[in-house]
Order: sequence, then structure tokens, then C-alpha cells
Amino acid sequence: MNWSFVIANAITLACIYGTLAIGISLTWSSLGLVNMAYGFIFALSGYGAWLFSQHIASFAPLVMAAGILTGALGGVLVCALAFIPIHDKPNFPLRGLIATLAISLIGNQALLWQFGPRSKSLPRLFGTWNVNIFGVVLTADKLGAIVSAIVLLSLVLLWMRSSRRGLEIRAMMMNPHAASIVGIGVRSTGFAVMALTGGLAGLAAVLLAQTYYVAPFSGITPMVKGLSIALMGGLGSVPGAVIGAVILGINEALTSTMLGGQYVLITQFLLIIVILLIRPRGIAGILDKAREA
Amino acid sequence: MDRTAFEPTPEYGPAPPSATEAVAARTWIDPLSGFEPETPAREVPASAYLPPNTTWNETVAFKPKMYPVGRLNFFYKWPGHGGRLWWRTRYWPTRRRVLNIRGEYNRKTMRREKTILDKRPIWWTLTFLALLVAPAWVPGDAFNTVLSAAAVFGIYAAVNLCWMLVIGTAGIYSLASYAIVGAAAYGATYLAVQLGLPWWVLPAVGAVIGFLFGLLIALPALRLDGFYYALLTLGVVELCRVYVIQSRTFGSATGGIYGAPSYLPEGLSQSGQLLWGYYASLIVMVCALFLYRFVNGKRLGRVLRMAPEKKEAFAQACGVDYLRARISVFMISSTAIGAVGGFYASHFGGASPNLFSFDTLLLALAMLVIGGIGRSEGAVTGTAIVVFIDRVMIDWGPLRFVLIGMIMLLVVLFLRGGLFGIKPQFRTWRDKKKSERRASRSEKGGEMLPEEATETANKDEIYYRRFDKMQRDFLKRLVSKEVIEEHRTRPLGQHSEALDRLLIYFRRQGQIDKYAILVAEEFKAYRIVALSGHRGTTPRVVEDRTYGSPDEAYHALFMRRIQDLLES
Repeated sequence: MNWSFVIANAITLACIYGTLAIGISLTWSSLGLVNMAYGFIFALSGYGAWLFSQHIASFAPLVMAAGILTGALGGVLVCALAFIPIHDKPNFPLRGLIATLAISLIGNQALLWQFGPRSKSLPRLFGTWNVNIFGVVLTADKLGAIVSAIVLLSLVLLWMRSSRRGLEIRAMMMNPHAASIVGIGVRSTGFAVMALTGGLAGLAAVLLAQTYYVAPFSGITPMVKGLSIALMGGLGSVPGAVIGAVILGINEALTSTMLGGQYVLITQFLLIIVILLIRPRGIAGILDKAREA
Repeated sequence: MDRTAFEPTPEYGPAPPSATEAVAARTWIDPLSGFEPETPAREVPASAYLPPNTTWNETVAFKPKMYPVGRLNFFYKWPGHGGRLWWRTRYWPTRRRVLNIRGEYNRKTMRREKTILDKRPIWWTLTFLALLVAPAWVPGDAFNTVLSAAAVFGIYAAVNLCWMLVIGTAGIYSLASYAIVGAAAYGATYLAVQLGLPWWVLPAVGAVIGFLFGLLIALPALRLDGFYYALLTLGVVELCRVYVIQSRTFGSATGGIYGAPSYLPEGLSQSGQLLWGYYASLIVMVCALFLYRFVNGKRLGRVLRMAPEKKEAFAQACGVDYLRARISVFMISSTAIGAVGGFYASHFGGASPNLFSFDTLLLALAMLVIGGIGRSEGAVTGTAIVVFIDRVMIDWGPLRFVLIGMIMLLVVLFLRGGLFGIKPQFRTWRDKKKSERRASRSEKGGEMLPEEATETANKDEIYYRRFDKMQRDFLKRLVSKEVIEEHRTRPLGQHSEALDRLLIYFRRQGQIDKYAILVAEEFKAYRIVALSGHRGTTPRVVEDRTYGSPDEAYHALFMRRIQDLLES
């Protein structure tokens, strides 16, 4: 068994899925919306990056930026369709869930219709070199994924801590009703949150496309994984999402080396079910303080 | 005194006269002039006569525009004697009648009449008859497509009805229903292949598997709620899909497991097989409808609907054992879904991992949402719509899913209860609009507000205020240049009707703050004061003017009153 491989894989996957989970968690806690169209945003930004690299330039940072921008655009689209019209209507959480599911259905099928079922591959953004850190061999794409995910996530979290908009988003996470009373625009903040989380999905899509491919339905599995990490960490908690991502990354890497790749999802969901049965609001969630929805 | 200052100005003057209220000046002849026939009668210009009930008539008039339809529920009134209502048969095991008919006596026509209060049994019967004879009208070239789609419709409708018990009646968002179908179909097929079971055992095997599966997913439901449970079941579905795709015993190579015995009798033609399959699925759907009716419409459904999520504490306080109810509905629903899964295996000859895919889940959710969650007719209609688009309009390619998604999105954005919720939603909207209009019509000047009215012990006061307000509205319209001029020329004595009404009203006011004339120096100086209304308290001086004659003082006081009236 190659432990260095296991650790490298675990960290990479934890970074990518953690990005997705933080996006889902942020959306849920600030808007009260479970964004089931996240897989569609993921696939859309993969295609955005692919189109950019095909037709405009294949310079790595630009391709990544194109993916992130497409993701942000997709997030804004989802917000305009599923949040703005119904966020003040009765039974919003359920209707929002179903609306995002419908957007996911429409979007994925439209991607299939437009681009066909054949998957596309992005150019290698980080080159093809290796680096050896304390005996752990990291390939370029893994190291690139880890570094860019951590850097961009820290930037986002810093921005959330230090900027005016971030303050508004955090206020919405604490208590959306009170936030709207003190003059924070629910709709404008909604657009900001969805653009931000869409950008995170775009980042994850570009990073994951280094190892996998871009396909119309490539977003479903990452979304389910991101959702389960967010769920396990406690919906609405960023540290919880990070812890969940680390646990699931370790689990995935361990299972694939010790039992075999086909058992990854099985052990993963069993782990999640056990954790949720012990702590119904996730690792970092507190039962009473969870968002009422 | 500057008299023009007290003339009514447009800002607070009476409402502009309407067409009926003629402004044309006419003259008023003093009736007392008749006592002195030698001298010519005193004539004073006056404004046109305004009937004193004008304001009342305008206030009580019904102004909103009425449309001839849509205000009341329309019920056709069937003739016939009420003593013998059509159907009094009650069907076992309920105490319900086949049709809920109310018989009543119409006092206007002096006849008995009958009203069908709930027409849904009629619609169900008509639909079922239509479904029975539908294959005869399917065009020949589309026969295969449509009939196989119709069989799928029957099976999916049965699954959705059982699922609706969990989602609609219990309000638990379990997304694992098609996973139960899949598990039951896979298990039944596997056992049938291994043990050589006949086809009629498959639903029973499926029911057992469904029961076990239901037990498995009911346990987390006791601890988790809302989205946590929905996402957990989503995870379970994904788990099943991955397991089935990768497991060699369940046909990872062949894309599913096949070889289950079919319920079709031997030696049928292809169209005969399709017809047989269609009617068998229809029977399954009808069984599911009865199950829905006997769970949702009876004690269990009632208990579940009074204990929705977040109201558990209330339900518990009322003595409702909601946990037990939830587990039983889960078990009933999963067992039924498992049985349908066994039938599915027998119908399609096996099972494919497609049952566990995210798209199947999405389409199934679309079926429920389009029809309306919590209604059996919604589940059936939604299934029909989605299955038709999915299985019959195959030429559309991926676009047909886009169409389903669009319908789903539109329904969710604009409708609260799906297609079958349109009627109540429209009624609610219409009532809202009606009450908004009513609120914009009502005027409150001088009247008591509702909260004030409840606080007042003397209820006469409420009606007095209302009357007084109407009277003041009327008197305001009587104020005109002619009236003021008439008063100026002769404050005392016989007056025209308009002026008389005004003066009588002014005289009738209470003593508090009533204006009076103080004689500062006889025939030389008069002042206007306001009475305090309390014995021993001196009147307060209103203004520092003095008037040279009583008439002048009378008129100034009159103008003050007029101004107060117009400002009130």
C-alpha cells in the first residue's frame, strides 16, 4: 500500500469537495435554499472553461478564470430563476429545492443537447511535473488543485470576514429576517452569494476536470458528494464543511486503496449515515441554532 | 372684518358639485313676506335644492363593478324529491356514501332540490372508464409506443401514490421511493432466477424486501427531519446505484438483471401482450388508489396531517403518537412500493440501474410536483403528463426533458399546490383582491376605528359618530357664497332652507368650546369667546377683535363655525 499516494489523494479530494461543500453550505445558511442545481453550475462552468480553452486561449489562469466566471454566471442565473421570484412566498424552502431541481434537469439536458454526450477534456493547466515533499510524491495537477483551492478559498473567507458585502452575507447567515430589518437587501445579497458560490463551483469544476472529464452529467456525483459533506459538517458551517471534507477525503483514499475503488461511495454513505444518526445536524451543527426552514 | 377670508376656498371647500347638483342660482322667497302683502316679497339668491338624504344615498350605494360570473361556487341544482336521495348506499368499510349529496328545500321555487357537493367520485369514474376503453382509440402506428407508455404510467402512478403517502400525508421528504422499487425489483428478479419462482410470488417477495428497506430508511427518519432526511435518502439512492452498477451478481456487465418470469399468458400476439400489460398495470394503479384512500382518508392520515414537521410538540401535547404513525405509514408505503417493484420486475422481466439514477428521481419528483403534492388526482395526472412527454414524444430527444423541467419550474414558481391547486389558489387571490378593494373604499373621517369602538362602553356613540359624519359631509355641500351672503345681510330671522340646516346643526353642538358672543360694551363692542363647558370656568377669548354691532359679531361667529365645519 502506497501511503503517500493515499495522503495526496485524500488532500486533493478534500480540497475539491470542500470547495463544493462550502458553496452549498453558504447558499443554504444565507439564503435558506438547498441548491440542487449546483451540479448543473459545475458542469456549465466546465463547459465554459472548455469553450474558452478551445476558442480563445489556453493560458492556465485565464482558463481557470473563465470557469469561475461561467460558474458565477450560472449561480446568478439560478438565483434569478429560483430565489428571486419565490423567496418571500409561502413554503419557500421546498419550492426552492424543487425549482433548483428543475433547473438542474433543464440545464443538464440542454448541455447534453448542445454539446452531445461525448466528454471533453481540459488542457493540463498545471503542466506535467512531479514534486517530492517528505517522500510524498505529488503530481502537478494535484499540487495545483490543492494550492489553488486553498488560496482561493482563503481569499473568499477573508473577503467574507473583511468586506462590507461579506458582513452582509454573514448577517444573513445569522438571521435573515433581522438582516432585512436592519436594511440589508435580501435580493442583492442573494445575487452576491449565488455568484460567489457559483464561482466556487466553477473553481471545483476546473480543478476536477484535471483528473476527470467535462460531461453533461459530470456534476451530479460531485454535487451529491458536496451535499453530503455539507450535511455531515452541518449545513451552514464553514469549519464543519472543512472537517467533513477532510474526513471524507481520508475515507475515500483509504477505501480505494484498502478495499477497492468500487466501495468508495458505499463506505462514504455509510459513514455519513452513522455520523448523522449520532449528530442529526452534522458535526458542527447545533440542533437549536440551525437555520429554521 | 375681512369677510373674504372665511369664504370657502377650493382646498377645504365642499366637493365639486356633480351634474345632478345644479349650481344654477335660484332665488329663495321669504315665506314670512306673505304677512305683509303690500310690500314686495323679500327675495334672496340661493343655491339649488339639495335633498338631505343625498350623502346617505351616496354612502350606502354599492359602487364596485360587478361581473356576472365567478363570485360564488356554482352548483347545479338537481330536481327531485329530497326524501329519496339518489345514492344512500354506504360502502364498506367506510361509512361514506358513494356521492355526497345534500337535499334541501328551495323557498323561492317551493321545490326540493339536490346538490352534489363533491364531484370527484364522478370524475374518477369517468377517468377510469376512459382509461378502460382508451386502447380502442389509439392510432395504429403509435399503438406500441402509447400502450407500453400507458403500462409504465400505471406502474409509476402506483409508486407515486404510495410515495405521496409519505411526502404528502406525512410530510416527510423521502427521496428513496424509486430506490425501494429498484431494490424490490432487483431482489425479486435475483430470487426468481436463483430459485425459479413463479411470477405471482414476485410482488410478495418485493413486498418483503420493501418492508425491510422501509425499516432501514424509517429509522433515520426518527432522528432527522426536513432537508437532512431528504439529502440522506438522496445519498441512499446514490449508494444503491453505485452498488448495483458495480456488483457482478446484479449485472454490472449486462446493465441490469433480467430473466424474471412474466405474468403474460403464453401464446399472445404482440398487441395482445401490450393490452394485457396495460390492463394489469391499470389494476395495480387502482389498488394503489384504494390504498391511498384508506391510509390518507382514515385515522392514520388524519393523525399524520395533524402532526406535520415542526408541529410535533403540539401533536404530542394533544396525545398523538406521531412517531408510531410515521413509522406505520413508512412501513405501509414501503411495503406497497416493494410489491409494485415485484410487479415491475415481472412486467419488464428484470430491473436496470436506471431506477436508481438521479434522472428517474427528478422525473418522479416532477410527476408529484406538477400534479400537486398531497392529492391523489395530482399524483395520477402528473404521472400521466410526465410519462406522456417522456415516453411518447421520443422524437424530441433531450429537449423533452427540458420541456418537463420547464413545466416543473413554472408550476413551482407560480402555483402553490400544483395543477390541482389552481382553483383554491385563484379563489384566495380573488378574495385578497376583493378585500384590498374594499379596504381602499372605506372612509374613516370622524368615525370610530374598530379598536376604539370595542373599547367604548356606550355603543350609541359609535352610531352617533357615524351619523354625525354623514351629516357633516352633507352640510359641507350646503355651504356656498349665497348662504354666506344671506347670513351676512340678515343673521337673525327667517332663513333659506340651506342656511337653516347649517344653523340648526351649529346650535345643536355641545357646550364645550361652543362659540358665544361677549358684550364688552353695549352697542359698541362685541367679542367672540368660546365656552368652557364647565361650571365656574370662564370662557376663553378666541380672538382679540371687537365688532361694532351684534349682527357683525353674529356673522363673524357664523364664519368661524363654517370654517370649523369645512376643516373637520
